[in-house]
Formats: sequence, C-alpha cells, structure tokens
Amino acid sequence: MNRQDLFELAARNMRNARLRNALTTMGIAVGVASLVAMLSLGIGLQSFANHQLMKSGMFQTVFVTSRQDVRNMDENADAKPDESPVLNDDARAKIAALPGVEEVAPEVRATAEVQYGDKTNFTMLAGLPQSAHDEDAVEKVKGRFFSAPNANEVLLQRDFAKKLEKDADSVLGKTLTLRYAQRQSSDSNDSFSIERQEKQFVIVGVLDEEPFGGMRMISRARVFLPTQTAESMNLMQPADTQQLVRSTPGARTYSMLTVRMKSAAYAEKVEESVKKMNYSAYSYLDATKSMRRFFAVLDMFLGIFGSLALAVASLAIVNTLVMAVLERRREIGIMKALGASDIDVKKLFFAEAATMGLIGGALGVALGWIIGRAINFGTNLYLHKMKMPAENLWTVPLWLVAGAIVFAVLVSVLAGIYPAARAAKLDPVQALRYE
Amino acid sequence: MSEETGGVAIEARGASRYYTMGDTSVHAVEDVSFTIARGEFAALLGPSGSGKSTLLNLLAGLDRLSAGSIVVAGRDLGTMDSEALARYRRHTVGMVFQSFNLVPTMTLADNIELPLRFAETPRAERHDRVLELLTNVGLAHRASHKPTELSGGEQQRGAIARALANRPSVLLADEPTGNLDSRNGQEVMSLLRDLNEKVGVTVLMVTHDPSLASRYARQSLHMADGRLVSTVETVR
Repeated sequence: MNRQDLFELAARNMRNARLRNALTTMGIAVGVASLVAMLSLGIGLQSFANHQLMKSGMFQTVFVTSRQDVRNMDENADAKPDESPVLNDDARAKIAALPGVEEVAPEVRATAEVQYGDKTNFTMLAGLPQSAHDEDAVEKVKGRFFSAPNANEVLLQRDFAKKLEKDADSVLGKTLTLRYAQRQSSDSNDSFSIERQEKQFVIVGVLDEEPFGGMRMISRARVFLPTQTAESMNLMQPADTQQLVRSTPGARTYSMLTVRMKSAAYAEKVEESVKKMNYSAYSYLDATKSMRRFFAVLDMFLGIFGSLALAVASLAIVNTLVMAVLERRREIGIMKALGASDIDVKKLFFAEAATMGLIGGALGVALGWIIGRAINFGTNLYLHKMKMPAENLWTVPLWLVAGAIVFAVLVSVLAGIYPAARAAKLDPVQALRYE
Repeated sequence: MSEETGGVAIEARGASRYYTMGDTSVHAVEDVSFTIARGEFAALLGPSGSGKSTLLNLLAGLDRLSAGSIVVAGRDLGTMDSEALARYRRHTVGMVFQSFNLVPTMTLADNIELPLRFAETPRAERHDRVLELLTNVGLAHRASHKPTELSGGEQQRGAIARALANRPSVLLADEPTGNLDSRNGQEVMSLLRDLNEKVGVTVLMVTHDPSLASRYARQSLHMADGRLVSTVETVR
C-alpha cells in the first residue's frame, strides 16, 4: 500500500473512534507541552544568564599579558627572557592576525588633570575600545558613545560629572581640557623624555555604571576616551618605567592587551595560540566552565521531568491501539483476505500512531508556548511589583519546536510497535470466523 | 490472469490440515485430492464440520497446509511465504463470505476500492474500475451507501464486486447464499453464473444445499469428516 492510501485509511479509522483518539492525542499534547515548557524554561534561564555575561563581551575576550609583567600571577613569572617575550607592537600585530580576532586593544591608563571651566580635578583616564559599545559593555549612557574610534571625545562617570556641574547631565556637549604626561621617544631606545601636554575634548556621554570590559582594565577610571585617541596621545604608561629599568630595552611594550573575538567560539583557540607564543592568557570561558556544566545538568533534569508526562501519554497510545486491534479484529481479517500483507497491516497501525503523535506534538508545542508565556507574564508581574525590570526567562527556539514534534512522532511510533505487531500477527481465519 | 497450467485452475494433492487442541490432533482436512478445470463452476458440499471451510481457507491462502500440495493458477501455495500469499490473495483469488464481510464503517465504493489500494492501482484508474464493478453487479446507484443501508442481497453482490476488483482467475465463495432469502439467494447465484460464463472466472462454491449444487455446478465435491467422499459430475 502506498503512503497516501495508508494515511487516508489511518485518518478514516481515527475518525471512527473520534473521542478515544482525540483524548489520546490530547494526552500526547499535554506530554509535549510539559516537555516544551520545562526545556524552554531551562533554555530561557540559560540564555538569560548568558546574556547578562555576554553583554560585557566577556566570553569573546581573552586577556594577554607578558610573563614578565610584574602583575603576572603565572608560575613562570621569572622565566628567561627568550621564553617570555615582551608584549610589543610586533606581538600585537601577530595576535591581531589570528583567526577570529576582531580587535586587539591595549590597556591605556594614565593620570591627568582635568580642566573644566575654572575647575581643575586630578583623576584617572582610561581608553575604551570601540568594541565596548558593540558588546553593550557600556550600559546606560546618557548622551552617546564615541562617534569614531579616534574622536576627540570623552565619556564621564556620573560621580565625576557631578563634581563639574550640579546637574551632571548638563556637561553634555561642553568642552574640557586634559593635561597629561606624554612620552617622547628619543632616537636611542635606551631612554625617553616626558613632556606635559594639553588637549581639548568634547563631553559626549555620562555613564551611570562603570563600563565592564574585564576584571582589571578600563573600570575604576573617571574619564574615558577612545583607545585609539589615547594611543595617539602617547600617554605615559606605568609599563614605560618598567621598560626603562630593564636590561634589555626595546620599543614600547604593553602591560596588557585585550583581545576581542568575533564570537566566543574562537576564544579557546585564540587563548591556546597566544599561550604557544609564550604569553599569558586568561579568559572568562575558563571561569564559567562549571556554570555551563550546571546548565547542562539542569536542562537534562528539566528534560527528564518533562518527558515523564510524554511517557505516560505513550502508554495511552499503546492502550488506544491495542483496543483498536481488538475492536477491528474482523476488519483486519477482511483486509488480509483481500490481499493486505502483514506489513500493510503493521504500517496502518504505525500510521495511526504517527498521526496521533504529529497532531499531539503540534498541539503540545502550542500549549507549551502558551504555558510559557503565562509563566513569563506572571514572573514579570512579580518583578514589576518588586520594582525590578522585566526579564525574558522564556525562550522557545525553532529547533525545540521541530524537535518536540519529531520526538512526539517518534515516541508514538515506538508505542505503536506492540499493537502493530499484534495486528499483523492476527490469524485471518480466526478473525473471520462467523460470530 | 496467468494460467500456466493450461486447463487446470485448482489442483489439490493429498491436501491435509491438522490442528492440535491440547493433547489431541484434529484432522480438519485429510488427504484431499481433486482437480478443477479452468472456467469451471464447482461446488463443495458436506455437513457442518466436514472440513469444507477449512479447505476453502487453504485454497484462499488464508490457512496453511499441514501436508500435501495445492496449486492454484500455477502457483504452489505450500512454497509461498506470507508476503507471497498476501500477493496471491490480492491478485489470483477472490473471496466471498456467507456473512458478506463488508467493512461496516466504509461506503460500498470504499469497500470495493480497498483491494485496489492494496494492489497499488493508480488513483486515476480506481474510480473508473469501482464504477465498472458496481455497474456489473447492478449497484452503481448504491455506491455511497454504508453496508447497513443495503439489503442482504445488495451487500453480497457488493462483496462479489469487491472480490473481483483485481480481476482474479478464481472466485472462492463460502456459502454465499447462506444468509439470504430465496429471492436474493437466486439473484446472487445467477450473478455468479453470469460471471462464470461471461467473464470466465473459475468458481468454487461451498454450500450444504445439494439442489443448489446440482443446479449450478458442473462438478460437486462431497466432504465428510475432513475427507473427500465422492465427486459427482453433472452433464449439461
């Protein structure tokens, strides 16, 4: 029998026992709904947690330091120079050329005097790479982010802005002057001189929260300027003095480079490559391995609980189909007498099971989605009451929709094995015996 | 229709069927041998429990031989697996039952279409074939009726149409008039005779009515206690 005939007959048989098949199908729907509800909660929680971390670009970031760095915690801190090369422009270019690397930004920090109107303040400057904006590392900017990677613009911390104006927001669009120490390279690499410089900047934004770009960099400064601008200013860096006293001086070195990848998928590879280049590397991927394992286990448990209802539903399918075999004994006998093979009979029952699975699966996904929406709505109602921002704890990805329906069909067909085998084995002579 | 054996439609040699019931072995059919020529109308007679129905089930490929051989239209049933037997039932023989055995939830047309579905006849041909079969048995106007809405005679004529759907060479009928009144019974019998004479289908009919056998059949096989006791040829 071909497939179309098979499903036509299956549909006809199901219509003949409408109530029973509808109830069984609803059972599958409830099972699938609970599975979808549980799994999408797990996925939702995971993506919620991931989003909180991802928006700082953490997983896309690898921090590279030289093993000679005084802040370095690596065991090889006192390794020989040839085994622990300095972090210079050469290294920076090499790292930037690694696959998946989007941006390599040095840590630029310096102290400076800020002149705003007639007020002067001594404070900390830091470079903020352009990628910080793309990755939402900077949240809640009043005003805007830098217009270009090399713009002469600054962002101020709100507390610092308050020192300048009573109404912090009124600094926006105003100009300030930075007075800073500039490193002047001499012809020989053995020395350099330091000069005082001034530069004017436009205040384009006020930050409510400290930008989060990684553990040791950027944050804790009061004035932020584009990293590229900061670099071009040749700000005197703490690493410069280290370099000066070293017995093997060379061109400028960096104390730390922040490497941003196109996606977190590259982080592990880049970290590995950097370590092979004999630099120290650290990423948050290392730190969050246990967290990711936790979510994997959570998803598994939610999946198991969700599957329980589906397991019960599969028993209902077995029951419904065994009933159908008993009820349709004579009909099965007639079909065999007319030339239906055992396989035809078997396939017919599988088709009925699969149809119930398909309809039940589709209804279940819809039901699960509604349940999820409801839970999400309830949660947000609670969060709203607690005066907390609304969150989306609920994610139903397309693969879950497709997967749940396929799974429902699969479970249903498995449940159909026994009844189908029983129907196929039915002796037509017995089945047709005059009653 | 493939008739490799020339003039022979059915040939049974020492056909036997034993059942074991507990410790005892029941010989439902024992050492039965006969030949039915192609295009013949034959009757199988005998009292209840004489083994007629068991023999018919063996010929229909619904039951399996314990010993001996049965060859129908050149096909040796003893050597076939269940899949081959299903194909044999589908294409070579048609079955008609005393209790009609139309599927009650299907319309008459759907019932007749059923064997065409098993044979994977293209959809386009099916509709015409069903209409042709219904017209041949005079039930074209009843196509969309459920079996319960038909008289016994109509049901049996529908069942005959269904048995002929895949153009079998042999029609096996198990007491086809047993549940019918005499007028309907006669209608069914003359339909069977017409089919036998005009279409050339070989008919083997089980009956316990000797007058029916002598009126329609050229050969009458008499069974008692599972054995063939006599063969009577009626000369017309």
